[in-house]
Amino acid sequence: MSKQSFLCVGGAALAGAAFLMLAGIPYGVSSPSNVRNIVLSPLFWPYVLAGILAFGGAGLVLTAFRLPPGARDERLSDVPGGWARLGAIAVIMLAYVMTISTLGMVWTSIVAIVAVAFLMQAKRPLLTAVVAVAAPLLLYAFFAHVAGVGVPQGELVRLP
Amino acid sequence: MSLMDSFAAGLALVWSLESLLALVGGVLVGVIAGAIPGMSATMAVALTLPFTFAMTPITGILLLVGVYKGGIFGGSIPAILIKTPGTPASSATVLDGYPMAEKGQAGRALGMALWASCTADLISNLALILFAGWLASFALSFGPPEFFTLILFSLTIIAGVSGDSLLKGLISAIMGLLLATVGLDLVYGTNRFNFNDPNLMGGLNFIAVLIGLFAIPEILTMVWNPKGQEGQARGLGGGWVTWLDYRRCFKTIVRGSLIGVVLGSIPGIGAAPAAFLSYSEARRKSKNRDNFGKGEIEGVAASESGNNGVAGATLIPLLALGVPGDVITAIIIGAFMVHGLQPGPMMFVANADIIYGLFLGLIISSIALFFIGTVAIRGFRFVADIPKALLFPVVLVLCVYGVFAVNNNIFDIGVMFAMGWVGFMMLRFGVPAAPFLIAFILGPLLEDNFRQSMLMSGGSPEILFRGPITWFFWGLTVLTVVAIARAGLRVRSKLLEEKRT
Repeated sequence: MSKQSFLCVGGAALAGAAFLMLAGIPYGVSSPSNVRNIVLSPLFWPYVLAGILAFGGAGLVLTAFRLPPGARDERLSDVPGGWARLGAIAVIMLAYVMTISTLGMVWTSIVAIVAVAFLMQAKRPLLTAVVAVAAPLLLYAFFAHVAGVGVPQGELVRLP
Repeated sequence: MSLMDSFAAGLALVWSLESLLALVGGVLVGVIAGAIPGMSATMAVALTLPFTFAMTPITGILLLVGVYKGGIFGGSIPAILIKTPGTPASSATVLDGYPMAEKGQAGRALGMALWASCTADLISNLALILFAGWLASFALSFGPPEFFTLILFSLTIIAGVSGDSLLKGLISAIMGLLLATVGLDLVYGTNRFNFNDPNLMGGLNFIAVLIGLFAIPEILTMVWNPKGQEGQARGLGGGWVTWLDYRRCFKTIVRGSLIGVVLGSIPGIGAAPAAFLSYSEARRKSKNRDNFGKGEIEGVAASESGNNGVAGATLIPLLALGVPGDVITAIIIGAFMVHGLQPGPMMFVANADIIYGLFLGLIISSIALFFIGTVAIRGFRFVADIPKALLFPVVLVLCVYGVFAVNNNIFDIGVMFAMGWVGFMMLRFGVPAAPFLIAFILGPLLEDNFRQSMLMSGGSPEILFRGPITWFFWGLTVLTVVAIARAGLRVRSKLLEEKRT
């Protein structure tokens, strides 16, 4: 049990509940005007859940204040270069989703494997290159020709 | 359809080359995935799910069940050889398995782990066959109020026992329930959090959420700390488990299996608590209790029988009530849904052939596990040598292909990545992901049964207390909350006491 994690999770839950009650539900959920009973309204369930979320968040914040300042939570401790690598993989993920329809899933996946392997400090470049080409091609063969999925081909090079 | 007819129809489904290959292949994939530290049985089942789309329902489900069974056993191999449990369920196996490996008896420990796992698996499967049908026939009389209270109880216990705090579990479950409200309203068809985006009209894709929550965070963890998964594997040593060892531990194995069956049939408890309870019971009753923790073979037998005893039993609430007992069965429920099947009491009437086919397949999986496990123990060194920095990028691409294959929609890949970041943050802050996923699956059912009850009663909440079954589940829910809150208070007062001294 770490005071820090209780405070962060509780605070986030309270903020989330406040957002839902003040903006998310009023603007994101529509209800017909002729609903006679409040419990049958499409708004009822989200409001109940937001209320319980606020209750849980408040409970966690209160628990955090009553907890002794214990040892540091190992899960929250930093690793050298960790945040930079996470930032890089966030960019890779974004680029992956954005380029699939243009480059095709196979070619994007090849680049993604090489980039992620580099981030994970892979030691064998030749093996990495072989796997980066073979794995997406094998997956393409299975999903396109066995499972009948229309794998995006992209606009540059088309596969059989 | 009589019982014999159902069994015959089930046998006809299972006794085909396709089904048997799926089962054996599933066990093999599961053992390998479970044996790789950083991969888990859950992740393996989640990644296998997209491959079942092109299969018949029974073949696909048998493949997933095979991966599940193999994965739980596979986790014991690195637990014994490199002191790193492949799955959380194998944590108790480390206590005596690794000291045995240090003494040069790794082969003996792994052999006992395999024999205990197969025995427990068989006992658990028999329990499933005996009790699931009985429970389903009882559940046929359930109406919406009964189902509402049952699901509420399941969510309470899952939220309560999954993490280090009931409140964190509660928040996780509420987040899952909230995410399940995205899409068109169940009764009026109006918009709920979909902002007129056609991609969100049908709600978020279950498989994108599931793979995002359980596979992507592992990849992000590996990126966060690439050196975190390294370990030195020990050799198997000269000895192998003997018939005499097995006979000496047999009572412990049966006890552990029964503990696994009982805990596994309660939604949410899972394999790790069963393994630890079985281990502590074995230590309490053993003549060699002083040797526990120092390399006692009975300790390995106890923990492995405890965690494998859960495997068949978790399917009892899934098949009989439509409520997943843990995360893996939540994924398996997804496979049922993908193939147009709804687990629950009605499935015993409408799809008895698939139910009995599954029962027979489970028995065959125990036998397959025995042979594949024997080979896998000897081949572990090859599995341990797979570079993680190469494996995880391939897993990432596998996730992308798998999620895309569900609806041929790139939007789902974005959902998966977003859920991956949510899962990673949950992992860092100690918020359990299991209540999130199970609540996401059960959310529509919970709301649907609640609103149906309200429609039946004209809005009166009295219907939720209409008979002994609803009272029974309300009672269990209150008991669970009180028990978990008391346990939490005890931990906190212990912490305060430690601080004072």
